[in-house]
Amino acid sequence: MLSERDIVARVRHLTVTRLRVWVAQGWIKPADKAAQGFSDADLARAALISNLEDELGFAEEDVPVLLNLIDQIHGLRSELMGLLDALEDLPPDIRATVRMRITSRREGGER
Amino acid sequence: MAEDLYSVLGVAKTAKPEAITKAYRKLAKKLHPDLNPGDKAAEEKFKKVAAAYGIVGDEEKRGRYDRGEIDASGQETPQQRYYREYAGGEEGARYRSTAGFEDIGAFSDLFGDLFGERGGARGGAGGRRFSMRGQDAHYRLDVDFLDAVNGTKTRLTLPDGGTLDVTIPPGVTDGQVLRLKGKGNPGMGEGGPGDALIEIGVKPHPVFKREGGDIVVEVPITFDEAVLGGKVEVPTITGRVFATVPPGSNTGQTLRLKGRGIKSKSGTGDQLVKLSVVLPERIDEDLKSFAERWREAHRYDPRRKLKEQA
Repeated sequence: MLSERDIVARVRHLTVTRLRVWVAQGWIKPADKAAQGFSDADLARAALISNLEDELGFAEEDVPVLLNLIDQIHGLRSELMGLLDALEDLPPDIRATVRMRITSRREGGER
Repeated sequence: MAEDLYSVLGVAKTAKPEAITKAYRKLAKKLHPDLNPGDKAAEEKFKKVAAAYGIVGDEEKRGRYDRGEIDASGQETPQQRYYREYAGGEEGARYRSTAGFEDIGAFSDLFGDLFGERGGARGGAGGRRFSMRGQDAHYRLDVDFLDAVNGTKTRLTLPDGGTLDVTIPPGVTDGQVLRLKGKGNPGMGEGGPGDALIEIGVKPHPVFKREGGDIVVEVPITFDEAVLGGKVEVPTITGRVFATVPPGSNTGQTLRLKGRGIKSKSGTGDQLVKLSVVLPERIDEDLKSFAERWREAHRYDPRRKLKEQA
């Protein structure tokens, strides 16, 4: 578990105040809420927010929009991976049927 | 062999710091790994761009690079672990959102069924905790014609030595699939077992044929039964009955025995008795002389229509 200080020390441009704002905004949800303990994922997320604001020059009000989209993409990716995993376990003939349906759907969708 | 850092960013050597930052941000917004999860090529390009900016974006380092004191790779900033590396794992589950695609109804329905309350962990250190319904098991069962028609209970022996009690409903057809709920393979986690799907094969019968809900039987009658009529014994799927052959019956004519067909949910069929007139195996003198006499007075032409039509 990482402390507030650990995070600030490892992310360039980051101050305790900024980190606390991010936590208060819900952009970062400390893995251990009670003890304000952060995980590696929280650290990486802090680095991402710093990247967005400090390196890429996004305005602060853009950050929640971007995070929301990024979180949705990962949610979608995760569900899709789960679906693909489940498909992998199916017998080959059923997989072939699914593939066929997907293909015919795609072709049907074209104008 | 090192690439020119200015050309990586697409700026001139004389570009002002603000122009360099602008060029870098434009590229980085397009290429940042967390904005392109899963895109390896973008990541490689981003690394180059970031490394270039790390030098020419810094006034002091830019000067040293321009004077040739450091080369394009003279940079060892610690590697950043990108958020996307965690986003798919157990840790990322706290942040992942499915709120944006709840409108894709079938999609969420599918996941509701497949995964239930899945924790959302994939590939992470912890094992997956998901539920999945068991697979359906496919079997084939051949039954006798009369069992298929009248319905029966039978026991199917499974490849693994187990058995399955199967109730064959009356009127089951060849190729029909019976579904036994929950008799398939066991599920995972909270998922229930799959179903057993049993494809029924109906063996043919030497006498009875099936046409929908009706049973068809060909019954031979004698020459005199055909002429004079009479009662003949006829097999049905539930036993023998007597059928009345009207006088002057002919080969190809059909008698309908109401309600002697298949009794199923969709109603009760009939039995169709197809008559076929059969002469005795040996034609004796008596019959021969009768026919000769009869022909003299009652000549008739059953092939008249045939001649007209072809």
